[in-house]
Amino acid sequence: MSNRINGADNVLVDSGKRGLKKGMITLWKLTKIVVPVYFFVTFLKMSHALDTISIWFEPAMQIIGLPGEASVVLVLGNFINLYASIGAIASMTLTIKQITILSVMLSFSHSLFLESAVAKRTGVSIALVVFIRLTLAVVSGIILNIVL
Amino acid sequence: MDFVLFMKESILGSSSSVLTMAKIIIPLMTVMEILKDSNVLDKISNKISPIAKFLNISNNAIFPLIIGLIFGLSYGAGVIIESAEENNLSKRDLYTLMVFLVACHAVIEDTLLFVVVGASLWFLLGIRLIVAIIITYFASRVLNKIEIKDKAML
Repeated sequence: MSNRINGADNVLVDSGKRGLKKGMITLWKLTKIVVPVYFFVTFLKMSHALDTISIWFEPAMQIIGLPGEASVVLVLGNFINLYASIGAIASMTLTIKQITILSVMLSFSHSLFLESAVAKRTGVSIALVVFIRLTLAVVSGIILNIVL
Repeated sequence: MDFVLFMKESILGSSSSVLTMAKIIIPLMTVMEILKDSNVLDKISNKISPIAKFLNISNNAIFPLIIGLIFGLSYGAGVIIESAEENNLSKRDLYTLMVFLVACHAVIEDTLLFVVVGASLWFLLGIRLIVAIIITYFASRVLNKIEIKDKAML
């Protein structure tokens, strides 16, 4: 009886250890992306390139209630991954409403290259996957901008 | 551009972001690994079966649904491919599942990442789940009506 309980404990300790290791590995993977992106966006900001980008995207971004500079967050999230967009959000000054809109949009649509490839392996079409995700993102952005 | 100011702002800002993420990611991964090894997943499976019924997918599709929902698209797709090879999943199940999972996956990790930068956890999680359930519901109704071409399979 006590052996069995010890056995169960060991399994728990083992999975805990493995989880801890996986957590560190994930954190490292994340750091490798977030830090360069943070540097990159800070550079864009301080070299005033971000101002130029902002002005271009301002009209389109207004529909979803975001400042022009947030277009960088959306591009990074969709082309690279969520970690990259987190790095970019962290380096900008945004309101809670703007962060909420960005979060919802990005949680529907992110890492499009990688995840579409994964989805393709199960047999569904990439076009369908990308269409569903982008539509959800844009529609939710527009609605949240009105409701919030 | 002031280089020193640039380095200072970048280094301080990025390291504080990494620190915040460490506080969330490491405990989260540990808990998820323990969840994966214990039989908590079976219990969640039972609870979620009414939703599966609503979405009109078979019981065989519940396990891949939960794996994808909690652990992410890659894990979910892995399990789906495995089940499809064992012929446990119909093409309808497969499409319905994937429509749900592309809209909504890795909900714990993705949601917490945005909580790190200030989004509301329950709002984000709630919207994502509800919207995914709604579009999957309609997708499954549409799939009932049309025949899916065979070429798509693996």
